Amino acid sequence: MRAAISPLEQMVVVLARDLADGELGAAGAAALVPMAAIALARELRAPNLTVGGEMFFNPEPGRLYPSMLDDRALGRCEAAETFIELFGHSHHGLDFFFHSGLQHDAYGNINLHHVGGTLHAPGMRGPGAANLSYCHTSTRFYICPTLHTARNFVEKVDFITIPGHLSGPEAKRAAGLTNEGPRFVVTPRAVLDFDPETLRMRLKSVHAGHTAAEVQRHTGFDLGITQDVPQTPLPTEEELTALRERIDKTGTLRA
Amino acid sequence: MEGQTTLTRRSKVTGLQDAARQARDALRERPDLCLGGLFKQGRPVALVRGLLAAGAKGLHVYSSPGAGYDVDLMIAAGAVEQVFIPGVTLENRLCPNFRSAVEAGQVTAHALDALTVVGGLMASAHGVPFQPIDALRGSDVLKHNPLIREIDCPFSGRRIHAVGPIRPSVTFLHAQEADRWGNLRHLSTMVYADQLMARASDMVIASVDRIVSDEVILDDPSRVTVPSHYVDAVVEVPYGAHPTASFPNYAMDEDHIDAYADLGDAARAGDSEGLDAYIARHVTGPKDQEDYIKTVGGAEYLAQLSAEARKG
Repeated sequence: MRAAISPLEQMVVVLARDLADGELGAAGAAALVPMAAIALARELRAPNLTVGGEMFFNPEPGRLYPSMLDDRALGRCEAAETFIELFGHSHHGLDFFFHSGLQHDAYGNINLHHVGGTLHAPGMRGPGAANLSYCHTSTRFYICPTLHTARNFVEKVDFITIPGHLSGPEAKRAAGLTNEGPRFVVTPRAVLDFDPETLRMRLKSVHAGHTAAEVQRHTGFDLGITQDVPQTPLPTEEELTALRERIDKTGTLRA
Repeated sequence: MEGQTTLTRRSKVTGLQDAARQARDALRERPDLCLGGLFKQGRPVALVRGLLAAGAKGLHVYSSPGAGYDVDLMIAAGAVEQVFIPGVTLENRLCPNFRSAVEAGQVTAHALDALTVVGGLMASAHGVPFQPIDALRGSDVLKHNPLIREIDCPFSGRRIHAVGPIRPSVTFLHAQEADRWGNLRHLSTMVYADQLMARASDMVIASVDRIVSDEVILDDPSRVTVPSHYVDAVVEVPYGAHPTASFPNYAMDEDHIDAYADLGDAARAGDSEGLDAYIARHVTGPKDQEDYIKTVGGAEYLAQLSAEARKG
């Protein structure tokens, strides 16, 4: 009998289905789930999807690693670049990128700098972030934190490290954020997207074993749930087999 | 001609302590130190330990856009005043001493991003007064970033950003190989911003896992990542990047870094005995690299990291 589908496996499958053949994209700092999603898309539907923009092209890791900034995780990558080329990629943008943070808010803004206090007198100082450009020079990005609680999903972040939709369409326009920005948010509990009119986060589907009420309880702002919320489509046999037998042989996503 | 001595080419091979003292003296004039590598790869940690043992203080630390263990250790040793690194993390956990020191107001951590740091190094390396940046929008980092200015693009008229040259007083790099003249070869897959920093800095000191013969360099000049022209001193330090990685020679020592972070977390909670002992044992105590290797588990233990690096 197959092991139950883990929350991270469900996240990977949702993300993989949204990546298209021929696109260029990269995983970002917390690379485990995004790299698995990219690998799954390449394996099943998108053989011409290029991994690039983070100083390496098309890595071939033997297993999944938590960070791609590790030569072991690159395996036999096809080519390497440096920060000079990363400067160019950051301006030209990618098709897709991934982010997660300490706090995420109702408009998809992400905080990695501080919680409480001010930048130079912080209650809690976070790690900061290196790349602040792919979120708006890329066609779109995905938010995929591996935790979903009322503490990391808040109405308004204490500091905008990575801009999402700011406070809505007008603010986004004023700031010159002309691309799509965050397309959706995938967590271990649910998939969330953004109301096209207001750009506020709303609940799109709940993963098997979770309920809309539970997701709302673990979210620090109103998701505006007024009707039945569909279940996130389960991974198919084909997806699960590819994921477990070819991409995540060591079972990292189930650990 | 009579009375003239014949000059011979000067070797740049230097001892670790001499190199560290040279760096310390230059940093007393201007405290801007830059570190090569990225996060847990290719970091010049032996040089950092040497600098701490030599008694550096009040440093302004730069790096490629991501750093962790080494900058945290420098903060724990009380050597840092300001941090100019966009991302400071051990990746799997936060940097404990960085966090504590910034939260306590002892260290200023500037809000920056990769393009500002890379752009500033580019301006310095290229010898131009600023580097334009046109990909920074919407982030609160822009309100606090001390290194950028808004300018009008002279062609489009649009508001864009500019960053002035970042000119480190001293840059430490770690490469896998060099010849005695200081021609560096990175054998790792990624070279990070090392080549840019070498061209952007007043003084460049490199540690390498081994010094190779002149012939190795001459046989494959396109394989040289940093020509000796940019390098002031080269130090042969086996396992000189430990506990970070020097691929393909050895992988990062994640257990060591985790144990260090546990001591940092204990210090955050009020018990700094373990962290003080760590610094005495690994930083100020060892008289040379051979001695250091004994304190972190010995040659046999480090050979496991070499085996791990080759597994791929």
